[in-house]
Amino acid sequence: MTPELNVGILLNELFVDTVRVSLPLFRPELCLVATIVLLLLCRMLPLLRYLDSGGIALGGVCFAAWYAYIDFLSIGSQVGDSLLPATAVRTELFGGLLVFDSFTAFLRLVLAGFLVLYVVLTKLSGIPDREDGADFYSLVLGSSLGMCLMVSANNLLIVFMAVEMASVPSYALAGMLKGRPASSEAALKYAIYGAGAAGVMLYGISLISGVLGTLVLPDVSFEMSRVLAAGGTSGSTMVLCLGGLMLSVGLAFKLSAVPFHFWCPDVFEGAAAEVGAFLSVASKAAAIALLVRVAFAFSTPASDDAVGMSANAVAITDARHFVVYVIGLFAAVTCTFGNLAAYGQTNMKRLLAYSTIAHAGYLMMAVAAAVAMVAISPQGARDAVSAVAFYLATYLFMNLGAFGIVALLRNRLKSEEISSYAGLIHVSPGIVIAMAVVLVSLIGLPPLAGFVAKFLVFSSLVDAITSGAESPLMLSLLVIGGFNTVISLFYYLRVLKVMTFDPVPEDRVSEPFPFVSISGAMITGLVLPVVIFGVFWSGLYAAAHLAGVIAS
Amino acid sequence: MTPSFLLVLVPLLPLLAALATVIGGRRLGPRAHLPAVVGIAAAAVVALSLLVVTARSRGSAETPRPVDMVTTLWQWATVDDAYAPAHDSHAAVPGTAVGEDAYSARPFSISIAMRLDPLTATMLVIITSVGLLVAIYSIGYMHDDPGYPRFFALVAMFVFSMSMLVAASNFLLVYVFWEAVGACSYLLIGFWFQKPEAAKAAKKAFLVNRIGDFGLAVGVFLLWLTYGTLDFHDTLSPDGTILPGILGQTRLADVSGYVGGIVGTAICLLLLLAACGKSAQLPLHVWLPDAMEGPTPASALIHAATMVTAGVYLVARSAPLFMACPGALVTVSIIGTTTALVAALIGTVQNDLKRVLAYSTISQLGYMFACLGTGTLLGFTAAIFHLLTHAFFKALLFLGAGSVMHSMGGVIDMRRFGGLRKLMPITATTFLIGSLALAGIAPFAGFFSKDEILASLHSKGWPDVHHSAENGHHAMIPELPSALSHSGTMHDVGYRGVSNYDNHSSSHQTSDVVGLDALNQPAVWKALFWMALVTAGLTAFYTFRAVFMTFTGPLRIPDEAGDHAHESPSVMTTPLLILAIPATFIGFILFTTDGLAHFLAATPSFTTPSIVKTATASVFHWDLAIQGTLAAALGIVIAAVGHLGRRSDGPQLERWLGPVRPFLEHRMFIDQLYAAVIVKPIEAIAFLAAIFDRSFIDRSVRFVAHLPLALGSVVRQLQSGLLQRYALAGVIGVLAIIVFLAWRL
Repeated sequence: MTPELNVGILLNELFVDTVRVSLPLFRPELCLVATIVLLLLCRMLPLLRYLDSGGIALGGVCFAAWYAYIDFLSIGSQVGDSLLPATAVRTELFGGLLVFDSFTAFLRLVLAGFLVLYVVLTKLSGIPDREDGADFYSLVLGSSLGMCLMVSANNLLIVFMAVEMASVPSYALAGMLKGRPASSEAALKYAIYGAGAAGVMLYGISLISGVLGTLVLPDVSFEMSRVLAAGGTSGSTMVLCLGGLMLSVGLAFKLSAVPFHFWCPDVFEGAAAEVGAFLSVASKAAAIALLVRVAFAFSTPASDDAVGMSANAVAITDARHFVVYVIGLFAAVTCTFGNLAAYGQTNMKRLLAYSTIAHAGYLMMAVAAAVAMVAISPQGARDAVSAVAFYLATYLFMNLGAFGIVALLRNRLKSEEISSYAGLIHVSPGIVIAMAVVLVSLIGLPPLAGFVAKFLVFSSLVDAITSGAESPLMLSLLVIGGFNTVISLFYYLRVLKVMTFDPVPEDRVSEPFPFVSISGAMITGLVLPVVIFGVFWSGLYAAAHLAGVIAS
Repeated sequence: MTPSFLLVLVPLLPLLAALATVIGGRRLGPRAHLPAVVGIAAAAVVALSLLVVTARSRGSAETPRPVDMVTTLWQWATVDDAYAPAHDSHAAVPGTAVGEDAYSARPFSISIAMRLDPLTATMLVIITSVGLLVAIYSIGYMHDDPGYPRFFALVAMFVFSMSMLVAASNFLLVYVFWEAVGACSYLLIGFWFQKPEAAKAAKKAFLVNRIGDFGLAVGVFLLWLTYGTLDFHDTLSPDGTILPGILGQTRLADVSGYVGGIVGTAICLLLLLAACGKSAQLPLHVWLPDAMEGPTPASALIHAATMVTAGVYLVARSAPLFMACPGALVTVSIIGTTTALVAALIGTVQNDLKRVLAYSTISQLGYMFACLGTGTLLGFTAAIFHLLTHAFFKALLFLGAGSVMHSMGGVIDMRRFGGLRKLMPITATTFLIGSLALAGIAPFAGFFSKDEILASLHSKGWPDVHHSAENGHHAMIPELPSALSHSGTMHDVGYRGVSNYDNHSSSHQTSDVVGLDALNQPAVWKALFWMALVTAGLTAFYTFRAVFMTFTGPLRIPDEAGDHAHESPSVMTTPLLILAIPATFIGFILFTTDGLAHFLAATPSFTTPSIVKTATASVFHWDLAIQGTLAAALGIVIAAVGHLGRRSDGPQLERWLGPVRPFLEHRMFIDQLYAAVIVKPIEAIAFLAAIFDRSFIDRSVRFVAHLPLALGSVVRQLQSGLLQRYALAGVIGVLAIIVFLAWRL
């Protein structure tokens, strides 16, 4: 039967797909959209102008988090209940542009949870002020919307669009501190650098789609193995490699992977600490999730295909080899560079910027291990992706805690220099203890959540080594990771040393905030999970393990 | 209020009290004792109710039925398939056929689990009740001390750690809280850290205990390697099979569930080493006398009644492991008896009242080890019985000594005071009761428990005498090696294959390689019995020497006391009076009703077949009772000759000792021996190591420390702030990756 161009049926299918399937699973994003619209409307209408934009944003993100939670529970029960070996339950939304699976659900929950805490934190820390509130929150929510698309991207076009959607508002956020040259300069650099990276990425995507004839991520590996196995011209292989590298440049920019990290310290130092928190947690989580999706798309064996199996399998093995090496290289360089550069920083935000870069390196190590194991040991790959998911969830609390403390201290001390924290233990032991928990967790020492996260990452590297997936590379990654953990001790602990041992500076203008206060409660709320997930990590790991099912 | 909830409450309440004291201690000021006293009191009530619960669930059956309730709070770490047992491993599941299932990989999981069984319930009652009385007493003793809140926080913390130690159902948790009580002990010995002796004593206790702790750590590793689990209890794996715990009922019911031979003996000896450290047994006893630098209530609670009995608890808890290794068992007895005798000898010439009591504690703990090593149900229950009575009367004696010290202005040298009988009547009376109990005079508590200890040793030395009365089960252990040597033929079948040999309580490894087994013969046990009997006499002697020197004769008060010399306030004397009650009656009550032995027999660890068959109705051994009483009476008479009345002020008796006296006064030169043999060589090595450290290691560390800094500064140079350079770096980076991949792929 030749397909008739029946507009009615088409419209009906479109309607059913959109309303019945896609929109119910898109509720968290819809909440964000609605909140943005509401925020902007409030700015326009004279009476509503006096509404508190932070309150509106908080309400919106709470709804989003609630729906994200419900979605995660429902997909969790779908994945977990089956007695058969867990396989990924996936639903394609909007005609295959997005995908909803447990990985999407978990990360969307992490993002939405982050937003709830983040909005509360910004309300407490006073940036943005009343004037900027609506702008700030609509930019944050807009960027988060892009990040939600990043974690659920199922199409290379959506990859590009989501990255842009997440990036463009952050350029503006970086320049939010009006009247501060450093802030404006950082924002401008960020925007230019981001625009360049986006251009390169788009070019890479068009090269890839040109050769493969598809933009849909699940089809990429099949098409690629076909193209590679067909041999044909070596030109197509080269174009694919080039396209892949260009795509990775775009991702590396979002991940602030070396050598595309230069924007990161400048932006973190120039922008408010709150913006730094947003970029280092949410943006990083989304970028890593996107990396997982794209990397798997380019390296998963296309098992459906029965014809020409062996040749295709060999071809995809080569491609996987390439992907693993690119990610592994980026990981090793990023991690080492971030940790080395963090030495000798005098500004806390800049130090945290390099720390963020280093942690992106650790995360990419696990991604490399996951991709390396995807064909050899699906269980190992699943564990590795779970490690990534777990890391991101705990990283949320660690880093948001660190930036939150920096922001709240800035309000009182009027400084973000490490030296201005000298002797804080004498006036505010609570803050110093909270900071100590966060920093020690960032180092990765037990019994804090950072230890468990790092343990899971390293154990996935060990899994890869023992299962023979790219063993030499994984072994060197393991060694580099361990070495980096050791050297990271120094600069994190130096902050604590200044806080505890150094004498109180005589010119301190004001006292830090009292720990028994709403701000103190907020910090406690951020820091306690770091301790709790270090001791009771089974529950969170079980959730992360659900997310990891996409790899098996 | 389920039992498991109550069980959690026992440690939880003191923990909350400790936290409350830490947080609000300064604000509470002179009322800083409130959280600790209330918390421990509540814990004591809960512990008593748990005792009742356990006793009820045991029922009235004649044959002991194992009673335990395990509460798993949470799983801390789970690593799948961590343990892949070898095919000859003993971690295989008892009760399953030989096959792949029995040897399937096992997860490593640390279950934070607490257990309730008769042994735990008994220990919990001792810990919380003595802890409560000591805490009340300390209100008076520690008043005006600048560290008042700190003291109560530590005591509450200790009660928490100690109750967790005895309630833990996992060797790893035992290790954790083993260290925790050690830490509390360290902090309390060094409570007055401004005093150099206190700081030094704390350090010594800590270091000596490290040796024992090391043994425990290695022992736990070996347990994991051998049994593939660290849990005491059986656990249910997700697929429905039972994973037998080390002291779980599956393994206990299995006659060949425990490893003997070299591995088994090594585990037992390592556990024994740990017990020796914590319970101050030879050769690791040197820390306990110095530990008396701490506040006296802490000495009473930690270094007399509870923490030092942790070693006894550990050995009793691990009884099935020891039963598989007769050589290790007899070692326990030899160490215990020797310690008892040596410590009693040293105790006879000490002039420091608290040190006399410290050596007495070491000696009494030696008694407990002596009867643990007999490997009979009578021995195990007698050890816990003595632990119980000792906790009360030794706490009483220590608190009495503290009362004396308190009123003498901190002086504790017995030569400098005397005749305090009239000045401090309550202290004197209660101290006398404690002394009678310690000396083993009927009908005070110590008499009955000591009688059982002597009986258990006697039954090993003269098995024939007990043969007719007790169906000859005591003769079992000497026969054991021969039974083991047959087992060599069976392990080809697989260690589980045959089920009709129930005499075989050990492994397929021939155990005649362990030379220690040779010690297990009646002649040795006879010697041990006589040593124990001599110790009983010595105990009575030094105890009453202290009583006579302190309380009889003309009144003498040191200058330090000033006008302060008086009977202690009622907050201190009340605990003395309360403790005097169990010190007087508890032995008689528990012995005549035979309640404790029956109760304890339901502890899972004591229900392994090799122990159960040694069960015997407790008989009152008139001959042993008379021997023991005679020895004690002789000791008291000699003490009276030397020190009663006017003669109480000087070393009357010790003059006759001649050259032995300095030998004993210097504590048999054991400390000096350690200094010469261990400390000095280590110091020499340390000196060399320090030179090496400074000249080589420090330099290389400095180099390594500077390296990242130098590299970091190079790296930071790249961050120039110029966007063009950033872009250039990106381009170079991509080119570098291309070059690398082209070269690598």
